[in-house]
Amino acid sequence: MLAAENLALVRGHRPVLTDVSARLEPGTITAIVGPNGAGKSSLLLALAGLLPAQGGAVTLDGRALANLGLNERARQIGYLPQTPDIAWDVAAEKLIALGRLPHGDDGHDAIAAAITALALEPLRARPVSQLSGGERARVLLARVLAGEPAWILADEPLAALDLAHQLNLIAHFKACARGGQGVVLVLHDLALAMNHASRVLVLHEGALVADGPPDIALAPAVIEKVWGVAIQWLGEPGRKALSPV
Amino acid sequence: MEAPGHAAARPTIVSLNPCLDAILVAIAPPEQVLALSHYSRDPASSSLAPEARARFAFTGGTAEEVLAAAPDLVLASTFIEPATRAAFERLGIRVATFGAPATVADSITQVRAVAALTGNAAQGERLVAAMAAATRPDPAARPIPTLLWQPGQIVPGEQTLIADLLRRHGFANFAAARGLGQADYVALESLLAAPPAVLLVAGDSAGQSHPLLTRLKDTRVEPFAGNLINCGGPSVLAASTRLRAIRAGLE
Amino acid sequence: MNRAVWVFAGLLALLLPLSLLAGRVWINPFDVAGSGPNAAIILMELRLPRAILAVVIGAGLGAAGAAMQGYLRNPLADPGLFGIAPMAALGAVASFWFGAALPVPPQWSLPLMALAGAMLGMVALALIAGRGVSDGAGSVGSGLALFTLAGLMIASLAGALTALAITLAPNAFALSQIVLWLNGALTDRSWHEVWLAAPLVALGLGMLAAAGKSLDALTLGEEAARSLGVDPKRLLALLVAGVGLTVGASVAVAGIIGFVGLIVPHLVRPLTDRMPSSLMLPSALAGACLVLAADSIVRILPLVTELRLGIALSLIGAPFFLWLLLRLRRGQV
Repeated sequence: MLAAENLALVRGHRPVLTDVSARLEPGTITAIVGPNGAGKSSLLLALAGLLPAQGGAVTLDGRALANLGLNERARQIGYLPQTPDIAWDVAAEKLIALGRLPHGDDGHDAIAAAITALALEPLRARPVSQLSGGERARVLLARVLAGEPAWILADEPLAALDLAHQLNLIAHFKACARGGQGVVLVLHDLALAMNHASRVLVLHEGALVADGPPDIALAPAVIEKVWGVAIQWLGEPGRKALSPV
Repeated sequence: MEAPGHAAARPTIVSLNPCLDAILVAIAPPEQVLALSHYSRDPASSSLAPEARARFAFTGGTAEEVLAAAPDLVLASTFIEPATRAAFERLGIRVATFGAPATVADSITQVRAVAALTGNAAQGERLVAAMAAATRPDPAARPIPTLLWQPGQIVPGEQTLIADLLRRHGFANFAAARGLGQADYVALESLLAAPPAVLLVAGDSAGQSHPLLTRLKDTRVEPFAGNLINCGGPSVLAASTRLRAIRAGLE
Repeated sequence: MNRAVWVFAGLLALLLPLSLLAGRVWINPFDVAGSGPNAAIILMELRLPRAILAVVIGAGLGAAGAAMQGYLRNPLADPGLFGIAPMAALGAVASFWFGAALPVPPQWSLPLMALAGAMLGMVALALIAGRGVSDGAGSVGSGLALFTLAGLMIASLAGALTALAITLAPNAFALSQIVLWLNGALTDRSWHEVWLAAPLVALGLGMLAAAGKSLDALTLGEEAARSLGVDPKRLLALLVAGVGLTVGASVAVAGIIGFVGLIVPHLVRPLTDRMPSSLMLPSALAGACLVLAADSIVRILPLVTELRLGIALSLIGAPFFLWLLLRLRRGQV
C-alpha cells in the first residue's frame, strides 16, 4: 500500500499541497485530476519519493519512503515523467534496459517480458530518434516495466499521443493493474479518468476535494466546483463522454 | 658641503637604468645619487647588494617623479621614451644616454664617461683598473666550447659583452660555432644532439630545469645568474669571478 | 568491450612508438647508440616521458569530456566549462608570486598550487551547484542549469583574476612566462611530471568510471534518473572530484589544453551504443591518441620554436566546434 498521510508541500513560499491524505491499493488504477496548478504533478512526485514533504509523510507498506534506501525505493516504485527527455539517440532496448538500474543486474528476462508486453520486439534495435511518438511512449513505459516495480506512477502519459496510442497504452496499464501492480496516473482528460480508473483523486488548489470511485469523485457537482463548468456525463459506463450543459 | 664653484663638478643624479645604477653605486657618493631605477629595487633583476639597495631611493621612471627629485642630471639608456626625454629637456634637466656595451673595452669607455660626467674620475679609474685586471685573458688557456643558455632558451651573439667575457676567460662560443646568432632559440633536444663541453644555464624553462641535465656524461652543466649577463661596469667583476670559478672547477 | 575501444586502443598502440621518433633530432630506432651522443637520453628522458604524459593527459581530458557531456546532457560540454581548468591555471599563475613562500622544493610549487586551484574550484562548484541538486526541490532542470551557470561564473572569475595577475606582473619577464605557460605545452617535461600526473589522473578516471551508471540513467532526464535511484549528490561529488583531478592534474603539469574533452566524445560516439558509460573508456583512449598525435606533430613542424600544444589543439578544435554547431543546427547529432 502506497499512502500519503497529511502531506503538505511548499515550493518557494507557495503552498502546493495542503493536508493531502490518500491510501492507494495495488492492483488498481488511480487517477489524479485537477485544473492546472492544482498540485497533481507535485503529488505524484511526492508519492514517488522524488519531492520531500514539509509536513506529513509518504509511506510504502507502512514504512516511510524517506527512510528507504534509494535503490530499494526505486525497485518498488517506477516513475514515468511527463515529457520524454531523451538525451542520446540510443537503441530502444538500451533505454529499456535502464529500468534495471535499481536492481543492478542485466535482468534479461524482465527486459524481454517488458518488450513482449508492449509489442516492441520489431523495434528493439531501432534508435529512438526513428520511433514515432506512440512507439517512444511504449518504449519509455517498457523501461518502467523492466524494473518490475510494485507501483507505476505516470505523469500525463497519454497527453501527446494519438487516440489509438492512448487506448493502447491504457490497455497496458490495465494489464499491469490486473497483474497486481499499483498504477497511479495524473490525467488531464476527465473522460479517460472516468472510463478507466477505479479510483479518482481530485485536487483543487493543493487540497484533496474528492476521493473515490469515478462516478462519485467526478460527479457534475464536483466538476462545477473545481473547474467552474456545468457538465453532464453521457453514455454507458466505461464509455462515458463529457458534455457541457 | 660643496664649495661654491664645485657644485657643477658633482651634479646631483637620477638614474633610470639598472646598469647605470650599478656603475653609480660603485663610483659615486650616495648623497650625489638622488634616486636609482625601480629595476634595482627588485632583487630578482638587480645586480646591487642588499646593503647597497637599502641606502638609495628609487623612482618608477616617470617624468614627474624625476622632477620632484630635481636632479641636475638624468642618466638613462638610449631607449628612453622620446616623450620622457623631451619632458626633461623642457624642464631644464640634462639627460645623458648610454647604449649597451658590446665588449669589455666598450664597457670601460662607458664607465670612464659616466665618471667624467658625474665628477668621479678617480673612483672611475679604480673601477676600470679592477675590470681590466679581472678580464685579462690567459693566452695559455685552452678554449673550451661553451654554450650560454639564457632565459627563453636563447643564446647570445658574438658581438655582445657576455660573449667577450666568455672569450677572455677561455670559453669558446659554441653557439657561434654551430651557426647560431644573437637571440637564436636552442631546444633541449637540439642541445643534446650536439652537446657543448660546458653548458651555462641562465634561465628556468622546463628544458633548462630538466632532471636529465644532471646526468649528462660529456657536458658540464653550471648555473649562471641572469643578472650577470645584462650589464657592464661592476657586473663584469662579478661575472669574471663566477667564470673563473667555473673554469677552475673544470681543471 | 565495444568496437570503439578496440579501434582506439589499436590506434594508440600504433601512435606510441611513432611518437618516439618525432622530434628535431633524428634517431634511428634500430641503432639508437649510433644516432649521436645522448640519443638514448633523448629517447628515455625526453621523448618517452613526454609521450606517456600526453597519453595520461589525453586520457584524463577525454574521459572528463565524456563524463561532462553525459552529466550536462549536452554534446557541447567541455571540461573547461566547469571552471576547473581556469581555476587550476589561476593557482599556477599565483605560484609565480607565492610559490616561494611554500615549504616545498621550487619545482613543485607550480603543480601543487595548480592542483590547489582545481580543488578550490571543485569545492566552490559543489557548494554553489550542490544546492540545486539535493532533492529536486527546484524546478525541472534547475540542477543542471545552476551547475552550468556556476561553472561559467567560476571560469570567468578565475579568468579575471588571472588577467589581474598578469597586469600586476613584477616585470616583463614574469609576464611573458605566465602568458607562455597559460598556453599549454608538453615541451621538455620529465618523469617527475609523469609521477605527479599519472596517479591523480588514474584516481580521477576511477571516479568518473564509478559515475557511469548514474550518467546512463540521466539519459532519461533528471527526474527519471532520480526515480531509478540515482543519488544526485553522490553523482555531483564523483563528477566534480573526477573532473577536478583529471583536469587539475593536466593543467598542473602542462598548462591549459582545451578542446580534447569536446572533440573526443564526438569521434567516439558513432562507434558505440551512445550510452554515457560506454563512452568513457573509448574517450580516454581516443583522447590519448589525439593529444599524442598533436604533440608529435608540433614536435616536427619546422617552426623556430615548438608550436605550443594548447594553440595547436585550439587551431584544430575551434573549426571542429563550428562544424559541430552547424551539424546540431541541422539536427544531425
